[in-house]
Order: sequence, then structure tokens, then C-alpha cells
Amino acid sequence: MLSEVIGFKRLAVRLLPSSFLMLSCMILSFIFIDAKPAYTLPLSHSVPVRAIPAFARKYGLPCSACHTAWPELNFFGLAFRDRGYQLGNERDSPIWQNPSFWPVTARMTPNWHRESTDQQLTDAVPGNPASGFGPPGTVMQHGFDLSGMDLWLAGTLYKNISFSLLPSSDSTGTFHFENAFVRFDNLAGSKWLNLQVGRFELDNLISEKRFLFLSANGGFYQNYHFIPLGDSNTFGIGDNQMGVALQGHSSNSYTRYTVAVLGSNEGGVGFTNSVTPPAPANNFTGRDYDVFLAFTQGFQTGSLGVQRIQPFIYYGHRPTIFNQTVTGVPIPGTGSGNEPFYRVGVQSDFFLGKLEFLPFFQHARDNVHLANSVPSNTPLSPGMQSAIWNGGFIETHYYVNPKLVFTQRWEIVRMAQQGNTATPSTQGNIDAYSFGYRWYPIMFSRAGLAWHMEYSIVKSIGMVPLSLNGSGLPPLTSTTPVWSSSAFVGFDFDF
Amino acid sequence: MKTNIQAKSFVLSWVLALVVFLAGATSGFAQIDTNIHAATKNMESHIGDKTGHAYGDGQGRPDAGVQLYRRYCVGCHGAGGDGEGENALWIDPKPRDFTLATFKCRSTPTGTLPTDEDLFNNITRGFVTTNMPAWNALTEQDRANLIAMVKAFSTRWQTEKPGTPIMIPPETPANIDSILHGRELFEKIQCWKCHGPEGHGDGPSALTLTDTKGNPIRPYDFATGTRFKCGATNQDLYRIFMTGLDGTPMPSFSDNIKPEEAWDLVHFLRTLQVSLKTPELTTFQTWLKGHPNTLKPIGQEVPPGA
Amino acid sequence: MQARYALLPVLFALTVAVASVGPAPAGTIEGKVTYTGTPPKMKPIDMSKEPTCAKEHNPPLLSENVVTGPANALQYVVVYISAGEQSAQPPSEPVRFDQKGCMYVPHILPMHTNQPLQIYTDDPFTHNIHPMPKRNPEWNKSQPPGAPPIDTKWGTPEFIEVKCNIHPWMHGYFAVLNTSHYAVTDNEGNYSLKGLPPGKYTVTAWQEQYSTQSQEVTVGATGAASVNFVFKVTPYLY
Repeated sequence: MLSEVIGFKRLAVRLLPSSFLMLSCMILSFIFIDAKPAYTLPLSHSVPVRAIPAFARKYGLPCSACHTAWPELNFFGLAFRDRGYQLGNERDSPIWQNPSFWPVTARMTPNWHRESTDQQLTDAVPGNPASGFGPPGTVMQHGFDLSGMDLWLAGTLYKNISFSLLPSSDSTGTFHFENAFVRFDNLAGSKWLNLQVGRFELDNLISEKRFLFLSANGGFYQNYHFIPLGDSNTFGIGDNQMGVALQGHSSNSYTRYTVAVLGSNEGGVGFTNSVTPPAPANNFTGRDYDVFLAFTQGFQTGSLGVQRIQPFIYYGHRPTIFNQTVTGVPIPGTGSGNEPFYRVGVQSDFFLGKLEFLPFFQHARDNVHLANSVPSNTPLSPGMQSAIWNGGFIETHYYVNPKLVFTQRWEIVRMAQQGNTATPSTQGNIDAYSFGYRWYPIMFSRAGLAWHMEYSIVKSIGMVPLSLNGSGLPPLTSTTPVWSSSAFVGFDFDF
Repeated sequence: MKTNIQAKSFVLSWVLALVVFLAGATSGFAQIDTNIHAATKNMESHIGDKTGHAYGDGQGRPDAGVQLYRRYCVGCHGAGGDGEGENALWIDPKPRDFTLATFKCRSTPTGTLPTDEDLFNNITRGFVTTNMPAWNALTEQDRANLIAMVKAFSTRWQTEKPGTPIMIPPETPANIDSILHGRELFEKIQCWKCHGPEGHGDGPSALTLTDTKGNPIRPYDFATGTRFKCGATNQDLYRIFMTGLDGTPMPSFSDNIKPEEAWDLVHFLRTLQVSLKTPELTTFQTWLKGHPNTLKPIGQEVPPGA
Repeated sequence: MQARYALLPVLFALTVAVASVGPAPAGTIEGKVTYTGTPPKMKPIDMSKEPTCAKEHNPPLLSENVVTGPANALQYVVVYISAGEQSAQPPSEPVRFDQKGCMYVPHILPMHTNQPLQIYTDDPFTHNIHPMPKRNPEWNKSQPPGAPPIDTKWGTPEFIEVKCNIHPWMHGYFAVLNTSHYAVTDNEGNYSLKGLPPGKYTVTAWQEQYSTQSQEVTVGATGAASVNFVFKVTPYLY
């Protein structure tokens, strides 16, 4: 094996010295994998991520024109989206398109992955539940798999009227509408007045739907979905919400704002908030509206690039009381006893030439009733209080060229105040680290293909780490850290 | 058993890694597949206080314009800058061929190279009714680098100097005398042969027009009111017909129109943009109401000597 | 021979140009350019969009892409020395290109690189002159009636198509050459390159539809050599 490694390295030196970084990255990732005994839960669902070769086909621009590395948008792509998927050259209306143009895109990632979680209780005698629990151990699995699929339609209906419709499936083909909205741009002739109605992603400068991680542990931002243990809140700033957004931007989109009014059912349809998957804990809507405000400002800094910063605040309510039938069945759409929560923070996007930094910070607070899952008409027990936590991450991308990007991310969540004074102060704290690279062997204007490798590891105290697998058992004690890791290699294709 | 599985997966990992690495290495994924003239690698552009570079250090390190070009431009303008990108076939009007160094929108006389600022303004503004978007979301430094890159595709930039921008005198009042004189010019210098008597882009020669590469091209239809390819202001309009749009049938009139007359033509052309309700149009319409049947229709007079 | 030259002002101008170059006229290369195959039929030019010209040319002129003469002669073929010449200095005398009755006179104008070129208009309406070079800078200028001639020159050898976009049938060529020894064949396909010192030369013939042909020839001390060219023609234009 050693000689193989040496031979491999020699080959690398001969072929392409500049790929050493990638090589060591690969070696490291596999050493890591092997060092930690692993297991895999089937990757039932991957956070859908977005890039639309349909637009590349419409306008003839290569993927890299709108994406730093697809699906992440660059300045130009952001300006394009802010204009309502228009270049603004009087050729955006569908009447100018070839009649056979159909703005649809499919994306999927056949992959091989390997998942491992420790501190898992299993049968003392495997396969025999009667034997009782053995000592906590590590569960590892690996195998070939599919990601979920996106079938995205987006385009213009007319000049200054655009739409997006994204039926998204999990890997078994179970569909939901990830987003669906219509957008009206340049109201009253002003680029500062654009209206979007439907289900859409919040205007996060650091978009989780367009980011460069796919593995079960790394394929989402912990901070975008974190809810403390025992909290009945369903909100995640990374979840698509349903409502109406007023947005505006300067001509180069360096200055932008969003004011959104959103239903408090977490993007759910009908009068339930049955977001599938994953189904939130409480499938009942409140009758209230949330507000999201964000303002983005970009600055040019010479050859370094554009630096952008976005303060944001989300203020909303979630119900705590659910009417039930006499037989105790909750009635959908009858949630009441709304209790408030908020998220406030700063997202930014800094460039040092080819190096991109994406720092994120968030302060979060859930009302005491939410934090303890106590209906608002029920007296609180002593020791109950609001849940408060802080979190953040720094993500880094290094763009070797438009066809190769290295990524890494370090993320933490820290509880500042537990919902109950009896809870250990560290329970729920998360540390997560991911790294990987994406290589785009082809980069043209019709379709996209990426080779994706990623390793991700998460430590979560007293909780099963949040994962796209969505499974696992909590540890024996509330102060025990649980480690979970993912290794992921796949071909991410997009047509 | 467990060890066996681990060993297998370890080997599998290595095989996968090796396959992708070899694939990547042999296809040269760390390279930028853009071909420019070796002699022009150290091409620079100067826009204000910004200096743009085609190659980062002039030594062949593709860190500046060439990489940006690969990222944003290559799909239409092609790896060789010849306007034969993979999408050129589907695009009308066709992408610019940088190897000819012929550019529509210039501040310089016909037949001369544009200034760096001209090119910078062009990519910042984009070209309306074409596939060329406004690249104003890119930093000024990136745009400057791209200009250096555009220049690297033709050696003309090494042997010739950009032309001297034409002088544009202060605009004269847009009164009715100016408009009427502009109308005479419009007829005399035969603008209407292509742009049509009413400026609808339907003159007798309109259907025969091709650009230098033989592709059909339409004259501007003033009635639509879309902004001009080379800008939206009266100054831009002045510049368009005094410098000509090189590479297209639109000639330069700078040898034949005096500067003050040129403003008259500008003012008349504005009256043709009926959908914009320009102040010039209002002036003209007011005058027309008081002088019915005074003006002969354009293009219907018998030419002298007939 | 002299009578033939008199047929075409262009060749007359050429002989003047050729005669003025070179210290001691020594040798001459003469020959004839013919075709095999079926040449395309030249169509009558519809000038109805410029009534003055339509009246002037009645019956209408034929287009000039492939002009043939008696005995399979091919007219408007540029024949020139493409290699073997010792020195080539651009003459200071300008060559003249005219716009007359909505036609270019001559249809093909050969010239030395950097030789002054004057473009005149005799017509009572505006033309635009739009040369479309690939290697020289492209320009496009309007020239209204009575305007002074446009003074210009070309620095790089190239066959440059020139057209008037206002009158799209107007179509001609500037043959910019690195030599003063050139000729354009007359209606009988004849040409003559004069004033060549003894030596070995490459003679090239260029026709706008059928590209170039070259032959090597040696001009001896006594002076005369003969080179004929045969172009294979097709019954369609491309």
C-alpha cells in the first residue's frame, strides 16, 4: 500500500504539481474515514441545491458567469436574480426565445458515501432485542446511493414578470414543492420595488440552497436549522418560507434590501405546515405572520474583489396550543397561543482574490413556552425560561480557477441560556467541520457536471447531531458528546 | 468481517480517488483553456487609476484577465477571442470578434482603435437587444483586467495607438430651427435609406444590410425608443453617427457634418423616438400643428439631376 | 495590345503606375487568364431604389463577380508578383477609386501597401464607403455629393472587399499588394507585368470568386516570359 502511495505521488508530481493540495486533501479525507469506524444511514434526503443551466442555455453564458462555482451565485448571478432573472437587454421576455426553449433543469447526484455515529446503543447480542443494551458503540455504513432530485423550472413569463417552480424529490421520488413563486420586477419603473409572492428561500446572503456541500453531516448549516432540545419551535432560517417579499437593489446589486411578510407555518401548504421532508415536530399552523428584514451592502476593494455584508432579523411566532377533537386528534390549522421568537445576525461574503470567506453570526431567542413546549395557557414550571443561543460559522472557498474549488467550513452553536435551568449548560452545543472540493471537468453553457468530494464531522453534546439522515439515538447522558462523520464522493450533474 | 469491509472500502476509496485524479490531471483541469497570442500576454489596460492585466504577472500566470475571460466571456466570444464561442451559432447579433479589433462603440474616429475607457464603458453598459449583458456587477478592477484581455487577442494594440476621441462641443438649444435643419440633414445624408423615412428602421436598403462578417443586421428602429447600443444620452447619439459603428453598415459622418449641425441631427433623431415622448418631439409636434402641409415627406423628393 | 489597354481606364492607369516604377525596365511577364467549366450567369443589377442610377444604366448593368470575355477569357483577375522581387517601395502617386452612377470604377483597384488612395464620388447623392478588411483597420465613412475625396491608404497586403451599404449592389475590391508589379486582366483575359529585372519570380493570380493560383517563372536577360492561368469555374456563386 505504501509503495502505491509513493507511486501515486510521483505520478502527481509529474502530471500536475498544482494539484498537490487536492491530493493531500483526498489522502487526509480517507485517513480520517479509516481512523473512525463508520456506519451509514441511508441518505434519504439531500438539501436541494440550485443552479439553472436552463438560463445558461437561454443566454449562452457559461455556468461560471453567474456562479463562483455552481450552484453558489457570484455578483453577476446575484444581480441577474435580483433583476428577476433578467439580463435587462430587452431580450428577456419569452417572446424573444426560440419557441422550443423550455426553462427546465434537472439535478441529481449519484454518490458513494460513508456515515458514522458513535455513542449509539445497540443490542447486546446483535439482532436480539431481548438481550438488552450493549455498551454504546459506533454505527457505520457505506455504499452507493442517490441524492434527492430537483426539477426546476424558472424563467420569465413576460418582461419584468418571472416565475420559479421547483418540484423536488427525495431519493425515493417523493415530491414536494421546494419553491414556487411569481415575481414582479421594476414596479413603477424602479429597480427598488420588486415583489415576490409564493414559497421561496429567505434572502440569505449565504444561501444554503446554493452552497457547495452535499454530505449528510455537512450538507446544511447547523445554524440554519438548530432548535434546542425540548423546543417546539419549527423555524429554521434555511427553510423556505411562504409569503410575500418586497425587494430592491442598486443596478449592480451592491446595495439590496428585503422586507418579507411570511406565514407562520414554516413554508407549509394548506393550513398545516407539513413540510416534507423532514416533518417538523408540530404539524399545525398558527394564524400569524412573521417578518424578515435584510439589508446587503457591497464594497469594491481593488483587486481583492467585492466585500458584502448583510445584517438580518427574523421575527416570528409559532403556536403552542393545538385544538383537538374529542378523541384527541389535533385539528390541522388550529394552532393558537402564538409565542414569539427571533433570530438576528450578520452574514457576510469577503473576497481576498481567489479566496472567499463567508462568516456568519446569529443570535437566537425562543420564548419560554416554545423553549419548553408548554402551551401558553399552561402554567410554567419553576426553572423554565427562554432559550437563548449564539452560533456562527466561517466558510472558506479557494477558487483555483473557474473549474476547481476547495471548500472548508467550521461551525459552532453555543447555548447561552437553556430553556430550563436544570439542563446542563452545554447540552446542545455543536462543533462541526467540513472540507472538500468540487471539480467541474466541463464548464460550458448547456449543462453542468461536478465531481464532488467532501468529508464532514460533527460533535453535538447530549444530542444526536442534526443530519440529513435524520436518525440516530441520543447518548446516555446529557453531557456526552456524540460524534458523527460523513464522507461523500459523487457526480453532481445538472442539465 | 468488519476489518474485511473496511479494507474493501479503503481500496475502493483509493480506486475512486485515483480514477478522478487521473481524469483531472490528463484533462488539465488546472489550466485555463483560453488561447491568446503569446506576444500579447503582458497586455495592460489603463482606466482611470486602475491598471488591468491580461495575465497576472505578464509571465504566463493566468491570474488576471485570462481567468475572468474564461469565467465570463468564453461561451460567446470563444477561447481564441474570435467570436466563435460555443454559443455563437445561436446568437444574433453575433458576438464580437476581438481578433479584428473592430468595435462599434468608440469615442474615436472610424477605423481607429477605441480607448480603454470606451471598452470599459461598453462592458459596463452591455449592449441592448443583444446577448451582451451589463457587467457592472463586476468590480472595476475585474473589468479593467477583462479589457486588457480583450486587447490581448489582437496585435493591432501593439502596433497602433487608439484614436483621439472626437471633440463634442456643448449642445445647442433644441429649438424648432435646429430640429428642422436636422430633418434636412437626415434626408440629405440619406439616413432614411436604412433607418426609414419615419425612423422605423424600414428604409429601402434596410433588408439588404449585413455586418462585416456577412450576417444580416437591422438598422435601429427609433420608434421603439429602446436605448441606443452605445448609450442613452444625446452625447452618445452624437458620438454614434460622428464615429460610426465600425463593423456595421453605419458609417461615420464626421467628414461631412459640422459639429453644430450634428446637434441639429441629434435633435431631429430624438423626435423619431415617438414612444419616449421626448421634449424634442413635443417641440416638433407643436410646430407641425401650426404649419400643416409645410414639410414634404422624407425620401419622396425627386433627386436632383433625375 | 495597346488598343486593349485603351479599353479599360483601370489598366491604363496601371500601365502608368507600372511604367513609373523601377530604374531600368528589363523584362516583361505577359499572359492570359482563361477558365474551364461553366461560368455563372451574371444577373442584371436592380437599381430601382436609386432612380437616378436606374435611368443612367438602361439596360441595366450586370454584376461583376465573374466577368468573362471571348474565348473563355476571364476579366478582373489581379495578377501580381508575389515573390522574387528585390525591393518594393510604395509609389507616391495616388490611385483613384470612383463612385459613378452607383458603380465602383474600377471594380477592382490594385495598389501598393501604403500607396495613397483617393476615393471620389461623382454621384448627386450620398454613398457610404465601407471597406471590410480582415487584417487592416476597418472603417466606414459617408460621402455626400460634392464632398472632397477621402484620402487614405492600407498598410497590410490584403484583398479588401468594399461596399456601399446604402446601395448594396455596389461592390468592389481593393487589392493591396506588396509590389508595384501588378495588373488586372482585360476583357480578353490579357495582362502584362512590365519593368522586371531578370530573376526568378512567383506570379500569382487572384479572382474574387475562385481564390488564387501561383506559378514560378524566370525572366531572362532578354526580358520576356509568358505565364497563363486557367481557373476552374462553377456555375454558381459562393
